[in-house]
Amino acid sequence: MTLQDTNTAAARAPHIGQAHRRQTARRHLAGRGRFVSDIVLPRMLHAAFVRSPMARGRIVEIDTRDAEQSPGVVRVFTARDLNPSCKPWTGTLDHFASMVSAPQNILAEEEVLWAGHPVAMVLARTRAEAEDACELVMLDIEEGEACVDGHAALSGDAPRAAPGLDSNLCFQTVLETMAVDAAFAGAAHVVEGDFTFGRHTAVTLEPRSVVADFDAASEQLTVHHGTQTPYQFQDIYARHFGLSESRVRVIAPDVGGSFGMKLHLYNEEMAAVAASLKLGRPVKFVADRLESFVSDIHARDHKVSARMALDAEGTILAMEVDDMTQIGAFSTYPRTSVAEGNQVVRLMGAPYRMPDYRGRLSVVFQNKVQTSQYRAVGHPIACAVTEALVDKAAARLGVDPFEIRARNVVPDDAYPFVSATGYSFEKLSHEACLAKLRDLMDYDALRAEQAALRERGIYRGIGIAPFVEITNPGAAFYGVGGARISAQDGAVVRLTPSGEVQCAISVTEQGQGTETIISQIVADQLGVAPEQVKVTTGDTDTTPSGGATWACRGAGIGGETALRAGRKLQGQILALAGQILQSDPADLALADGHVVDAQSGTRRMPLAEIGRIATYRPDTLPEAADNSLTAAEHFAPSGYPFDFTNGIQASLVEVDVETGIVRLLKHWVVEDCGRIINPLLVDEQIRGGVVQGLGPALFEECLYDETGQMTNASLADYLVPMACEMPDIVIGHVETPTNDTILGAKGVGEAGTAAAGVAALNAVNDALSPFKAEIRQTPMTPLRILAALGHV
Amino acid sequence: MELEGTQELQADPQTVWAALFDRDVLERAIPGCETLEQTAETEFAATVKLKVGPVSARFKGGVELSDIVPLVSCTLSGKGSGGIAGFAKGAARVTLEDLGETTRLTYSADAAVGGKLASLGNRLIKSTAQKLAGEFFANFEAILAEQAEPAPVPEPAE
Repeated sequence: MTLQDTNTAAARAPHIGQAHRRQTARRHLAGRGRFVSDIVLPRMLHAAFVRSPMARGRIVEIDTRDAEQSPGVVRVFTARDLNPSCKPWTGTLDHFASMVSAPQNILAEEEVLWAGHPVAMVLARTRAEAEDACELVMLDIEEGEACVDGHAALSGDAPRAAPGLDSNLCFQTVLETMAVDAAFAGAAHVVEGDFTFGRHTAVTLEPRSVVADFDAASEQLTVHHGTQTPYQFQDIYARHFGLSESRVRVIAPDVGGSFGMKLHLYNEEMAAVAASLKLGRPVKFVADRLESFVSDIHARDHKVSARMALDAEGTILAMEVDDMTQIGAFSTYPRTSVAEGNQVVRLMGAPYRMPDYRGRLSVVFQNKVQTSQYRAVGHPIACAVTEALVDKAAARLGVDPFEIRARNVVPDDAYPFVSATGYSFEKLSHEACLAKLRDLMDYDALRAEQAALRERGIYRGIGIAPFVEITNPGAAFYGVGGARISAQDGAVVRLTPSGEVQCAISVTEQGQGTETIISQIVADQLGVAPEQVKVTTGDTDTTPSGGATWACRGAGIGGETALRAGRKLQGQILALAGQILQSDPADLALADGHVVDAQSGTRRMPLAEIGRIATYRPDTLPEAADNSLTAAEHFAPSGYPFDFTNGIQASLVEVDVETGIVRLLKHWVVEDCGRIINPLLVDEQIRGGVVQGLGPALFEECLYDETGQMTNASLADYLVPMACEMPDIVIGHVETPTNDTILGAKGVGEAGTAAAGVAALNAVNDALSPFKAEIRQTPMTPLRILAALGHV
Repeated sequence: MELEGTQELQADPQTVWAALFDRDVLERAIPGCETLEQTAETEFAATVKLKVGPVSARFKGGVELSDIVPLVSCTLSGKGSGGIAGFAKGAARVTLEDLGETTRLTYSADAAVGGKLASLGNRLIKSTAQKLAGEFFANFEAILAEQAEPAPVPEPAE
């Protein structure tokens, strides 16, 4: 009896807000994951690609005769074979006024535009045979002059990065308030700096992978695709290959990490689909690590000049920022390569009351791998420039970094608030977060320790950085620009004949735990345990259409969709139960897997009995009764265009001033993502995000030489952050739910990445301050730190 | 990537100069050279097998001699394609100095690589190139020494 009571109590407690382990974790630990890489189909061919060794050149000849005779080879395709089957794609959107980009197609035609550009596709029985045959393809390319540096690319006589361009400028925009020049003219202090942010890339555990399977008899194309956005790709494959949408099925099974990298259209995936359409056989492509470095999108690559005006008391009056983003030879399809820079210039100064602003953005083509949206699009750049300048201002004024931020953040009671760059904030909690962080890290004790250690020649630094993150985007993000990218989501929830629950939903699982939080939310609407809710994602044939995973929308938008679908089904179940029990549905509720009396909680009938009667004995129901136990609901965010979140991070580092090596000693995050659905998974997201912010701050960089060759394209040379280099990450929360939804949840996946890098940058500069040295380039390699110190 | 070096060779400049333009000598001296064909007076076509770090490839390419100042200096420029391994190209200015019995050879080369060779082998390229240059001159000198020995007088048939 006591056991049953405990169970009952546990089952009644809401699951939203409770820590639940990821449901997929056990399966993955047991080696039972099913990734696209694992999929083997009968008659399947494996693809490998011959890539341009040059950053820019003209194709003179591709001789595939020897490769075609190589053992195991079925076909060798070049642009002439595949490109005519595909409508070219162009990575522009209407709301980025007058942006340009050259059209792209599957394989390079006439010209190669980056080192890694696919030129020929070999299909063989095995990947090894395909790779062997690639060595036999003779490629004659006449080398041309490559655009490598963005500033040089903008000069009038620079060669064009792609054919058909009038200039290498992809997009330019200026945002400004009326009084920005007056603000600088009247400022008591102006601080400024030039910043350089290197390129880096995602390095997912599972590389990009696709199995395209066209069945000519049924005219059905099935694409197993390791992606974040199955519906987006269903639409792309249908439109670009002229297929009926309902005959295109995209299935994203287990996906081994995405981080924005798996949102974009790539030549190789299109080639796999085109080849399968041509041959009527399944075609598999799994990128190896080496080709991933020269074909997966890269991120960032900014040069920023910025200045900040303050009055005598340290109040921020204005910022003026010029960002040049370097994006490769094309703007990426279908989301463009402009969104990153656009968010950089709009997020500058976001935590502060700063009234005036001018931001100028130039997006520039060059002959390198394309850059595009990657975790925390634009945020780390805006945050780094803003917070580095705030620290400079604090030093100039002799004010503590906490104090200058406390003077300038938008006060917690000042919302709603519109920023100088035009963002509307519903409700943020900078003051609460600042206060909580100060306690959490024991700031005063750390400062005392820092001073004591400095006496002994040990240089520690403390850096803090508030941030604002864009989450739950509405259609303003892409839809208004003409992109067929959904900002809404859909869910179908049903009660099975034995009283269990299934939920098919359009948000997807990349390992972050989406399915787990959806099961928690649905469970609470239907009075069952999360384990009794089976969640299906990632299949365009079996789930409703929706946006899936990007821009921190899974919990906020997907969760709200699941909640509403669950409530709808709850209404249907209660209506049916009311008829069976001859009670008013308003007097009934769902709990512990039962229909219960809403007041007393007394069990009236099990859900299994509802399922049984509705499914097998509808004949026993009253005549007008509706036996439907399936509910579908779509939800599109309305109200604010975005639900912004906020938080603050801090970093403690130790810099060895003789070797330039930085040790990360500890990291803190106080974060406000609104309603927390699963604190365990929220903390996992924050920690992972912090690591992805610290990586490019200290280690990760795609290095190019002056001819456009990437010179560290392997994990022997490209440094990813490892567990041994990462500090302990202490996390605290403030919860300010959004009133835009019933659930009140906002996104959290990018918060960690937004400010981790600049927290470390500010900490390093704090450590270097006794030497009057300063670093404004990431990654902060030992050599760059020694250069800042004047040692090299 | 720039490479420079000097080598003192045990032969007079005439002998060294002749050897530098001798197809047979070059074919034996170039490390990994599988074939070398003289396509014109100052042009050669070569197939060379090389390994740079994890990348091994068979390069097909051409070498051209230009800016020739007889017995004093010339420029060797070449470029080779290694298929999916990438490409290599470069030019070297070679200068000879008469030291009487011996000759001092000075070279100054500028080379570039692309594709997998650049993205994977970059750290190793300079050391590999230096090693290859060393091997070339070791081979070259051995051949010169061979030639300096008087050829065995063939026995009369009867």
